[in-house]
Amino acid sequence: MLQHWLLGSLALQNIGRRKARASLLIAAVAISSAIVFTGVVMMRSIETSMAVGFSRLGADLMVVPQNALTNITAALLTAEPTGEVLDADLLDQAHITGISRAAPQRVFRTEQSEFGGQGESVDLIGYDPGNDFTIQPWINERLGRPMQPGDVILGAARDVPLGSEIALFGKPFRVYAKLGRTGAGTHERGIFMPSAELLALVPAIREQTRKTPPMLEPRKVSGFLIELTPGATELQVRFALLSHLSGTKVVAGGSLLTGIRQGVTALLGGAISLVSMMFASTALMVSVLFSAIVTERRSELGLLKAIGAKRSQIVGMVLIEAIVATGGGGLCGVVFGMLLLRLFERSLVYYLTEIGVPFLWLDRMDTVLVAAACILGAGLIGAIGALTPAWRSSRHDPYDLIRGEG
Amino acid sequence: MLSCRRLRKTYQTDRGPVDAVRGVDLDVAARHYVAVIGRSGSGKSSLMAMIGGLSQPSAGSILIEGADIWSFNDNAMAQFRNRRIGYIFQFASLLPTLRAIDNVALPALLDRHSGTADTYNRAAQLLTEVGLGSHFDAYPSEMSAGEQRRTVIARALINNPILLLADEPTSDLDVETESEIMALLLNVNHERGTTLILVTHNLALASKAEQVVQIADGAIVP
Repeated sequence: MLQHWLLGSLALQNIGRRKARASLLIAAVAISSAIVFTGVVMMRSIETSMAVGFSRLGADLMVVPQNALTNITAALLTAEPTGEVLDADLLDQAHITGISRAAPQRVFRTEQSEFGGQGESVDLIGYDPGNDFTIQPWINERLGRPMQPGDVILGAARDVPLGSEIALFGKPFRVYAKLGRTGAGTHERGIFMPSAELLALVPAIREQTRKTPPMLEPRKVSGFLIELTPGATELQVRFALLSHLSGTKVVAGGSLLTGIRQGVTALLGGAISLVSMMFASTALMVSVLFSAIVTERRSELGLLKAIGAKRSQIVGMVLIEAIVATGGGGLCGVVFGMLLLRLFERSLVYYLTEIGVPFLWLDRMDTVLVAAACILGAGLIGAIGALTPAWRSSRHDPYDLIRGEG
Repeated sequence: MLSCRRLRKTYQTDRGPVDAVRGVDLDVAARHYVAVIGRSGSGKSSLMAMIGGLSQPSAGSILIEGADIWSFNDNAMAQFRNRRIGYIFQFASLLPTLRAIDNVALPALLDRHSGTADTYNRAAQLLTEVGLGSHFDAYPSEMSAGEQRRTVIARALINNPILLLADEPTSDLDVETESEIMALLLNVNHERGTTLILVTHNLALASKAEQVVQIADGAIVP
């Protein structure tokens, strides 16, 4: 403990000896850390916001049976309620490249669900929670717990309070969440539940209607909503789908939105790469600087060895100095970064919110983790940068170091 | 107490190898004062550095109290330098960021073989013995060259070494201060019984030694 205090004290004193140089080093690391911290928090926030925002824009393509009637709407959010069906493993069998996500849906339109008024037409929509990207992002309000079996989600046009119980074919369901307004009829009036829940309702439906609707057969779906991978064009994937899948129709969404989604995703990837390169260049700079610092301090290190300092103590002292300087820079950078985030919050984010573009900040715990990672990363950069010169110096004889060699 | 055999030191330079010490055999008895004399560049400092564990010989052996010091591993060698050797360089060798008392206490703190309070008590006592009782809190930049050298002597004695090596410790001091410092070193040798090997150009000082070693061109002049 005493040794650590002694070495730490010497390291701090060494930092204080060259105040201008230490300040410049701390400032350089602080600026890099601030850029990395702000960049990562902003980009992760933008990514999350975009994930929700772009999902709300709907799918890029929709695959439905060839004879199905489809409404041409601005956003592809649900398949259409027709009697035509597709095989549930259709896309898996086709192995088509360029597809990022494919969300199968079952849409069953019925007047016999006993929901609403007598004979009211209701669309029951089964979705795959793991692949869905057009229903869950539209949730506006929900109960304060995870979704459970027996829960349903209602479209915005359904005027039923959250948490209330509804009956479908005599089975009770709880209204877990409600969607925002989309302008798409099926989406606004639908009752949504995981496909497994909808399939579990089949015996009750069969009892009521005396038949099993084709889309509620276990291996059938009404259609697929498709999101393309970055770089894949709508035309290419559409052509591939049509050439591989007979008896299907491919409906395209807004190609402009697809382009924006793919472009911004690529841009974010590029920005993250730039931030990483900046961190790497800072590491190199610190390494070069500490190499010079250790060289400058050779005679002092030699003197310490001459009076009995061990190699580990020499290396430890230099590392403490480097970690304190760069870690301190990292801490300053995070504080500076937080101020920058506040500035963004009051300018760009405020403007986006004003014009109705949702902006979701990275949650507090993740932000703290990013901050801690920046400070640790900055300290680590110092340690890595100083380790080699410190280790090399510690290997030399004290006399060589005192004479300015080594 | 000290026995050097066929000791060699060769430095590799851009112009080829340079032999600084060439086959030195030297024996020193415990508690003796040995003066090493010779012209500049004759190999005195290289010899001292090898004996003090600061520079590895190119060949030969050094036995101190029967132990071959250059067979020690890194940590054992660090402990040997710390506990057994007191080294006084020909230049001011204090850490500038530490007070005089911290500089004196530093070797004991590095090895941690006694408590902090004991170490600082001993450091204060040594500083008082070398005449710096009122300079405990002074930084090196606030002390004269002579005071700095006294502080170095106090630091060299903090762990009660068996061998005190002084490599031209007064080369940059005025005559009066030189006399004071040399008196101090000889007193350490007489009073404490610490073996003293002193490199000096001062023949009057050398004449007081129990053994005089003259070096020329890296070898002992018979």
